[in-house]
Amino acid sequence: MSGQRIVIDPITRIEGHLRIEADIQNGKVVDAYSSGTMVRLIEEILRGRDPRDAWAFVGRVCGVCTSVHSQTSVRAVEDALGIVIPPNAEYVRNLMECAQYMQDHVIHFYHLHAMDWVDVVNALKADPKKTSEIAQSISHWPKSSPGYFSDLQKRIGKFVESGQLGIFANGYWGHPAYKLPAEVNLIGLAHYLEALEWQKEIIKIHTIFGGKNPHPNYLVGGMASAIGLDDASGINAERLAYVETLIKQGQQFIEQVYIPDLMAIASYYKDWGAIGGGLGNYMVYGDLPTNGYNDPSGYKFPGGVILDKNINEIYDVDLRSDTEVQEFIERSWYEHEDGNSAKGLHPWQGETRLKYTGPKPPYENLPVEEKYSFLKTPRWKGHAMEVGPLARVLVGYARGRDEFKEVVDRALKTLDVPVTALFSTLGRTAARGLEAQLTAIWAKEFYDMLITNIKNGDDRMANTDLFNPERWPKQAQGVGHTEAPRGALAHWIVIEDQKIKNYQLVVPTTWNASPRDPEGKLSAYEAALRDTPVADPEQPVEILRTVHSFDPCMACAVH
Amino acid sequence: MAPITPERRLTYYEELRHRGYSRRDFMKFCTVMAAYLGLEASGTAQITKALMNTPRIPVIWLHFQECTCCSESFIRSSHPIVADIILDKISLDYTETLMAASGHAAEAAMQKTMKDHYGEYVLCVEGSVSNYGDGEYCCIGGKSSKQILQEAAAGAKAILAWGSCACNGCVQAAKPNPTQATPIHKLVKGKPIIKVPGCPPIGEVMAGTLVHLVTFGAIPELDRVGRPKAFYSKRVHDSCYRRPYYDAGLFAETFDDENAKKGYCLYKVGCKGPMTYNACGVIKWNNGVSYPIQSGHGCIGCSEENFWDNGPLYRQMSSFPGFGIEANADKVGLVAAGAVGAGIAVHAIATNIQKRRLIVDVIDEGKKAEKELDNPLS
Amino acid sequence: MKGQRLRRVFVWELPVRIFHWLNVLAIFVLCVTGYLIGNPPALLSGAEASNRYMFGIIRFLHFTAAYIFMFNLLFRVYWSIAGNKYANWRNFVPTNGRYFTEIFKVLKIDIFLQRGKEHMSVGHNALAGFMYFVIFLASLFMVVTGLGLLADNSTWWFTRAFIWVPAFFGSDFAVRNWHHAFMWLFIIFTLIHVYLVFYHDYVEGRGEISSMGGGWKFIEEEQFQAEKPE
Ligand code: HEM
Ligand code: HEM
Ligand code: NFV
Ligand code: SF4
Ligand code: SF4
Ligand code: F3S
Ligand SMILES: [Mg+2]
Repeated sequence: MSGQRIVIDPITRIEGHLRIEADIQNGKVVDAYSSGTMVRLIEEILRGRDPRDAWAFVGRVCGVCTSVHSQTSVRAVEDALGIVIPPNAEYVRNLMECAQYMQDHVIHFYHLHAMDWVDVVNALKADPKKTSEIAQSISHWPKSSPGYFSDLQKRIGKFVESGQLGIFANGYWGHPAYKLPAEVNLIGLAHYLEALEWQKEIIKIHTIFGGKNPHPNYLVGGMASAIGLDDASGINAERLAYVETLIKQGQQFIEQVYIPDLMAIASYYKDWGAIGGGLGNYMVYGDLPTNGYNDPSGYKFPGGVILDKNINEIYDVDLRSDTEVQEFIERSWYEHEDGNSAKGLHPWQGETRLKYTGPKPPYENLPVEEKYSFLKTPRWKGHAMEVGPLARVLVGYARGRDEFKEVVDRALKTLDVPVTALFSTLGRTAARGLEAQLTAIWAKEFYDMLITNIKNGDDRMANTDLFNPERWPKQAQGVGHTEAPRGALAHWIVIEDQKIKNYQLVVPTTWNASPRDPEGKLSAYEAALRDTPVADPEQPVEILRTVHSFDPCMACAVH
Repeated sequence: MAPITPERRLTYYEELRHRGYSRRDFMKFCTVMAAYLGLEASGTAQITKALMNTPRIPVIWLHFQECTCCSESFIRSSHPIVADIILDKISLDYTETLMAASGHAAEAAMQKTMKDHYGEYVLCVEGSVSNYGDGEYCCIGGKSSKQILQEAAAGAKAILAWGSCACNGCVQAAKPNPTQATPIHKLVKGKPIIKVPGCPPIGEVMAGTLVHLVTFGAIPELDRVGRPKAFYSKRVHDSCYRRPYYDAGLFAETFDDENAKKGYCLYKVGCKGPMTYNACGVIKWNNGVSYPIQSGHGCIGCSEENFWDNGPLYRQMSSFPGFGIEANADKVGLVAAGAVGAGIAVHAIATNIQKRRLIVDVIDEGKKAEKELDNPLS
Repeated sequence: MKGQRLRRVFVWELPVRIFHWLNVLAIFVLCVTGYLIGNPPALLSGAEASNRYMFGIIRFLHFTAAYIFMFNLLFRVYWSIAGNKYANWRNFVPTNGRYFTEIFKVLKIDIFLQRGKEHMSVGHNALAGFMYFVIFLASLFMVVTGLGLLADNSTWWFTRAFIWVPAFFGSDFAVRNWHHAFMWLFIIFTLIHVYLVFYHDYVEGRGEISSMGGGWKFIEEEQFQAEKPE
């Protein structure tokens, strides 16, 4: 160990149980270890069950990125059985995925990430009139009068005076790393509360098609929400109009609140465009099909791999090749059946055999030189990969897609930073916003496609030809992928005698937050944390910034 | 009594005094409440102190083996909206999902509430506890979920078990439950526990339960298994708007067939509404937009005990424990009946062989008796 | 050898016979309607729900039959004290060693068709009595689980009194499952029971089948004397 070892556990404002142990020397992180400390073993629970039910089980892997595991699961089963879903179902799934992006990214920005940049207590010092001026200078958003901000300030003032600070208690308020003027802090706080209300609206798109949120319902073969234009239940004109309204409102908030706030706040933290870059390897599986899932050229999110920040060369990913995606357990609390823990397994051959060797709780430190996490360590052709919004935006940009170029170039211009600033903590956070912007636009496109298709007389929502297991082959295997909000997600399934023989999930946060591999190579979090400045080891807000920029989801990562 | 400025919210005590109640009334109220909560005499003092000094009830919200969708569902509540709850009604002193502080600072916030408001705070638990070994499968801040739960439960006034995870173990407790995921009520004794099951529960139901606790200062009426009656006293089936189709015997046969498009009952494609207690058909989801059945998928019974092992989702009758997923009671029963039928056939044949003598004898005797009757003198 | 001397013995009083056939009818209706409740038939009909109440009727029949079944059962419990010696509860509940010896004997001779002296009871033989006892317990189980399923939505104190049942089983799922599974016990019992009634009639020739109609059996004089009515 070099320098001072600090432990941050729990890392809050994330999903799940993440522990970071970091060595600090001369005000900088010299080494960091990322550990997931909760396991449920859902892959083992799936064995022997009906493959058609898997979406519901894996849906419960995560309620924050809810829906994405379910979608990936039905795709894996459809892939194994050769089921092609009707276009309407594809559009609806895309619509739901776009809604998920919009909601998840906004929640992340305001409720999980903002307090790393916005000093809530400092907002009390703001001048409401000046705040109003700033707000109106960056956006047309109507809630921006001086009265609005001063009412809010009073409300928060009362709250703080009560001495019961609730969720704001013990924040690192007043830390020198907070750089925003009081007025911008107040805007951030106002939109924290507005976003809290807004987020529950946009996901109503899930409720309409999937019956509820979190955990909307999916279906192998399509979607269960039959189109019944002439029926009160079923997707009819009223439901469709509802969806359209929600999309519009969603777009508005992202365009008029999220993006302006993101740009305003980022402009005070441009130094973070050079911190927290990490690996420089980025991977995207691709998603949001416009011409069917089986035609990747029609994906809104193009797939591909960038190595070592070289955006001039892009590699393709083959999820079926047993030499590309592999998972390692050398530093994780698992074992392999044959005892060889150094080898990597392709998920179709994957194993999830728990073997805890860590200290008995309560413990102070983890033996980071040995096994130290419940996450496995996935690798692509042996390379550690970063997945997520930044990877997607970079691959879209590198593939020369106009939509990506437009939003990226505009943002770089607004902030007046070079393209290289994207390889950073700031870049990751900005990419998330740009992606929210894109998915908000695409949601409307998918909506229009759905309407057109129904208008043309196609009202199919599910292909149930192969729903009955008696029509299945004795053996089948498949892989389904999705671009989840946090990155590239895939599930591999092996079906035998109508039951699940093996089911393996390799999840975005598993890629990013995993422990090192048998060769000692770091995964994305650990790599990004190296060289992060830490002004005060007692108040490591800088570490939180970089970790939060990935939007960790540990329930996902371990499952 | 502390001076009341317009800037400061009233405590419960101050509020009562302002409404003209005496200190004696107040003490009486505290005693009644302590009794209601099942606290000993010393509990009265705690409650009195709590209500005199605490404008907003402190809440500790723990996360164990879960997926955070209960928190997500909670923040989807439309009435009351969550901002109002956390700013005006409660003091959410610990929740890993939303709190600003991390690491030691977060720990410290929780410890402070546990100490300063011992016996007063409401403990919310999201997720199950891994009861395996030393608790190593779920650790936070180096402590096991078992230990954290015990510590936090000790000073809790009441415990809210959020979602199916905390109420019955949910998905991680599905067979073979490899981490020994265990619901809260099996680990904490002697505390009032309110179960709010569902995967997740409806946001308004969560908020409603919490607000009931805070507004009325009392636990809502609970049903036979500890759920608030207000939300869990009816089956989904009993308030399902597709019920007339069920009664008429009109069912969707597959998803997306003509019957499905007409909105017929989903029973035959696996709807578990007839066995599931929840408010989905009445309150619905996400501010009344829809609920699973309205969106064409059967109820999967997500608020029921062990619903993951209640058989495949798309079949009405559940699988039976020990017979694998393809077996259900009818298949087993039919096989057994077949075997019995075969046994009967074999037995009938064997009877004719084995008991031939006897049967012949009985017939002969009958014939003899007949003869005796015909010729009474011979 | 002297020919058989058969005595006409009045075994099944009218209340027993009424009980028996009501029971048969109720169980038949319960099994058919219960099965339909669990596995509704495919009806690809274009009818409007407002014109039909098919499933409601099926369930109504189930509940009606269920109450008949239950009160009939209660009546039979009463009659096991009030009725004649063949109806007495002692014929069903294993209370002494002789009972078990007889079960063993019947098993050996009637079921496994071993050679040996036939056991010819006047009323029920011990094995039959015991099987009726088992099916009586199963009937109680059906009543309790059935009422448990009704309890939550009922306002009648009697059904409400069974509110503990779903809690005891953990959930309505479990209750319904067991309620459904136990149906097969009745089906299997009926198969065996009816077969054995025919078997005895065929092998022993004492009018077994018709005895549940008129109440009379035809018993060898020696056997009757050996089992003298008190
Ligand atoms: C021999 C006796 C009985 C048999 C064979 C029988 C059989 C069944 C079967 C197979 C079901 C369908 C369960 C499923 O798959 O969901 C059922 C449902 C039911 N039975 Fe019975 N049952 C019997 C007696 C009773 C009694 C005594 C009662 C109550 C008083 C009762 C009340 C019910 C109820 C309430 C349901 C649920 C119906 C619904 O919710 O639609 N049953 N029965
Ligand atoms: C659902 C179908 C049936 C059930 C559940 C049933 C049940 C019973 C029970 C509980 C008894 C004992 C009666 C008592 O002592 O109260 C009994 C006796 C008897 N049953 Fe049935 N029975 C069924 C069908 C039949 C049928 C179809 C026949 C005639 C063909 C029949 C003929 C008899 C006879 C002869 C006895 C007296 C036999 C003896 O003493 O062992 N039963 N039955
Ligand atoms: N990592 C992750 Fe997820 C996402 N996005 C899933 O695939 O968060 Ni819960
Ligand atoms: S009960 Fe369901 S929704 Fe709630 S945390 Fe558990 S898995 Fe998630
Ligand atoms: S859809 Fe489900 S809950 Fe609704 S009536 Fe049919 S079976 Fe009952
Ligand atoms: S699945 Fe759950 S959400 Fe309601 S309709 Fe059924 S209880
Ligand atoms: Mg995995």
